[in-house]
Amino acid sequence: MAITATSTVNLVKEKFPQAVVETIEFRDEHTIVLHRTSLLTVCAYLHKTLHYNFLSTVTAVDWPENTPRFEVVYQLLSLEYQCVLRLKVRVGEKGEEHPSVPSVCGIWPGANWYEREVYDLFGIVFSGHPDLRRILMPPDWTTHPLRKDYPLNGFDLPDPHWGGQVPYDTDPGVGNQTLRSWDGRELNENRSRLSQNQEPGTPKEE
Amino acid sequence: MQKQEIETQYILEDSEFLEDGRHVDTMTINMGPQHPSTHGVLRLILTINGETVLKAVPDIGFLHTGIEKTAEAKTYHQALVLTDRMDYLSPLNSNHGYSLAVEKLLGIEDEISEKINFVRVALAELQRIASHLVWLGTHALDLGAMSVFLYCFREREQILDVFEEISGVRMMTSYICPGGLQADVTSGFEAKVRTFTKEFPAHLREYHDLLTNNQLWIERTRGVGILTKEDAIAYGASGPTLRGSNVVWDIRKAFPYSGYEKFDFDIPVGTNGDVYDRYLVRMLEMQESLNIINQAMDGMPAGPYRVANPKITPPPKWQITGSMESLIHHFKLFTEGYRPPKGEVFVRTEAPKGELGFYIVSDGSAKPYRMHVRAPSFANLETLPLMIEGHLLSDVVAAIGSIDIVLGEVDR
Repeated sequence: MAITATSTVNLVKEKFPQAVVETIEFRDEHTIVLHRTSLLTVCAYLHKTLHYNFLSTVTAVDWPENTPRFEVVYQLLSLEYQCVLRLKVRVGEKGEEHPSVPSVCGIWPGANWYEREVYDLFGIVFSGHPDLRRILMPPDWTTHPLRKDYPLNGFDLPDPHWGGQVPYDTDPGVGNQTLRSWDGRELNENRSRLSQNQEPGTPKEE
Repeated sequence: MQKQEIETQYILEDSEFLEDGRHVDTMTINMGPQHPSTHGVLRLILTINGETVLKAVPDIGFLHTGIEKTAEAKTYHQALVLTDRMDYLSPLNSNHGYSLAVEKLLGIEDEISEKINFVRVALAELQRIASHLVWLGTHALDLGAMSVFLYCFREREQILDVFEEISGVRMMTSYICPGGLQADVTSGFEAKVRTFTKEFPAHLREYHDLLTNNQLWIERTRGVGILTKEDAIAYGASGPTLRGSNVVWDIRKAFPYSGYEKFDFDIPVGTNGDVYDRYLVRMLEMQESLNIINQAMDGMPAGPYRVANPKITPPPKWQITGSMESLIHHFKLFTEGYRPPKGEVFVRTEAPKGELGFYIVSDGSAKPYRMHVRAPSFANLETLPLMIEGHLLSDVVAAIGSIDIVLGEVDR
């Protein structure tokens, strides 16, 4: 029997009535929204029985006004039957800083890096992931840039990520403006004490 | 995260461990991010025993530019420019994928004329050849064949001249845009493409003469960096990396877009999944792309170069000067942009590196609420440790070259 996205949606609804939150169809693309607890069961079923053997990508969407706040999105593909499907899990209750989703690395090993990316950029923890580290941002970064509450321009010149002191007093490259770190500390305070005509790096004339 | 933790993760100590009852001295070395054969800023942390690689850990993110975040602050038309900068060796393919995704979101796929599709296909295939030429040149250069590099860049120059002819820009063209093309193709377009398609088969034979039966090339590539069929699928490899492992899969055939179903072309696949197979697949793909370009140029119909929908594409200049309504449309389009309905789409296209997917979520405003790019290089790079662990250090260079990564796309 050939498998199509429509037949998959019906099969999953029939077989796991408790697992499905809702199904969405938009522009001929089918989405199944699942409960977090039954994600692995349904994924294993899709992979083993319905031959969804190719995981295109895992990503997330941040809806700060909604509860649950995050949608983790899986794009599946079946090379055998040439059909595609989107799965979603909604997580992140109010006040939950790092919501958790079971990792699908055991089913599609390729999910490893995608889940690391989502962890890095959204702060969603994948339980059972073999190697959950940051992948794109520096390892000691503390925030998650793709969240909607992260400012587009980043924070106002944060400390250099390696923790050292940038020599702003010698070569600020920012004119006379005062630069502050995100917690309000003035970063180029030495610079502001230099007189207008003085060359950076030269001793101050008394 | 504590400093200590970071050090244990990123600085692997030289260690001794027991293997077959012997003490083995291993060494951990850094390859990259500044290394000519890593094709950009890829860092590999290699644990080696003598010349054998025991463990390889790719470390990426050195070129992370936050394109997905930036796109959320741009209108749909402005975000097009960002897609050029991801895979900077094939910007037109990225434009193509993005435009298809936005058009699907807007629901205007049916309004796209035949002419637009033919021009898009011809350009996408030209870009595929250009991208493969850079891959071939750098890959051969990594393995010691200098002259191929010079020849490849000579031919790529011809293709960039075509792009300059139609868009005024050689690399970051943004020529394919949601709603059609930025401008009509110029009168010199066809002649330039015809010259290229006439001359290129001889050049392609030249590359085959230089490498395909070259004993040195075969010894460096055959049986090296093997990726099995099962691993390739499980790890989400795509494009020539997947096809090299004997998987017949091409998005252009499976989910035809832009009228690819009208063109006659084959999908070359490898047998063993080694570096030589991936090399051959790309070489044969250039021939197939050439066939597609010829078919597209032969059957190029006349027609409009963008949809006649003033809410999505600007009205022609002569209307703006004469009609108040057109002036308002033009003003609204460039100050506010267009507003697709609420929803989300994921559109796959076959880029030179593999499956390029655009996932765009719209909240009904003029800016994409979320744009995620499924970058083929990202997934292909994930398979690199499978290819090189247990093999020689010199094969690492061959394997990196064979998966054809572009770090701008990996890190986005």
